[in-house]
Amino acid sequence: MKQNNNSPYWSVMPAAVALAGIIVFIFATFGPPASSSGFITLLKGVLAHLAPGYIATKQHYLMMPGPGSWLMAFVLGMAIGGFIAGRTFSVPVRDVPELWEKRFGKSRVKRFLAAFIGGFLILFGARLAGGCTLGLFISGSTQLAISGLYFGVVIFAVAMLTARLVYGRTGKEKS
Amino acid sequence: MTLILLGLFSGIAFGFVIQRVGATNANKMALAHLMREAQIPQFMLLAVAFSAIGLFGLQAVGVGRTMVLPTSLVATGLAAVIFGVGWGISGYCPGTCWAAAGEGRMDAVFALLGGLAGAATFAQFHETLIPALYLPTSQGPITLSDWLGSSWLAVVVLVAAMSGAAWLVGKLWGRDSA
Repeated sequence: MKQNNNSPYWSVMPAAVALAGIIVFIFATFGPPASSSGFITLLKGVLAHLAPGYIATKQHYLMMPGPGSWLMAFVLGMAIGGFIAGRTFSVPVRDVPELWEKRFGKSRVKRFLAAFIGGFLILFGARLAGGCTLGLFISGSTQLAISGLYFGVVIFAVAMLTARLVYGRTGKEKS
Repeated sequence: MTLILLGLFSGIAFGFVIQRVGATNANKMALAHLMREAQIPQFMLLAVAFSAIGLFGLQAVGVGRTMVLPTSLVATGLAAVIFGVGWGISGYCPGTCWAAAGEGRMDAVFALLGGLAGAATFAQFHETLIPALYLPTSQGPITLSDWLGSSWLAVVVLVAAMSGAAWLVGKLWGRDSA
């Protein structure tokens, strides 16, 4: 938990307490927080205009609330929170992460394509499991759910393995 | 309307905090996965520990709503493998990509678009995949309390496990980094 004193990032303990405070507030005022469900909620809102007949027959859309819901407000709020936090932060954002650039070069197309594929996989997986890092691991484990703990252990293990395959020893050659 | 405002407020606070700890930074997420930076995994583990204590308190006074998702040996496990590959490639999860997109990271916008495509694809095949993969090995909404026979004992065990894991991450991560 050691961190440089000059790092603009919050250290672990206060950040974890702050997030837990928000999560407990959400349990008290709404129920288990979730973000992957917000994708279905957004799609449901879009498809309600484009293909109302389609969503009326699909179980996955029927079981989720539409856009006028806590879920939609929550994910939009996250984008707003990220925007406010980013605007008041000293480290500029990058479209291509440093480590990625060292490994695969400056190509934005390559990075955006990889991000798209990664995004596809995380949402496909999250919808199959019924939740994501927040909706299943964090919310679930907070409720002592075995599903959340099981999901959490496997996503960490597989992501660590995947990152090794993607990056190898990138960034460590000279150290 | 109240629920929408509550959702918006909760989301803004959540997005702000995860940006400040570096979880919206795909570079830091990659360093976490590569065992070079300990902060993000420790943050997640301790947030769960503190939240569990807080939720236990809420339940003691009868406030709040819970909903435990079932554990499906095959579907939850397979989903976690697919999710882990995507997380390792992109450095984003379904929550962080919203906050990171708001922060102005263009790769997060593409992760979000990919996420919409992935969610739509799953929704298309829900009727096939859930009966095939999820339901046969579903154990129901089991919890640690069911296993241990006591909810306070389960909270103690969970908090000990999460704190222990955070401690272990502190020991093992960042050892061989520059």
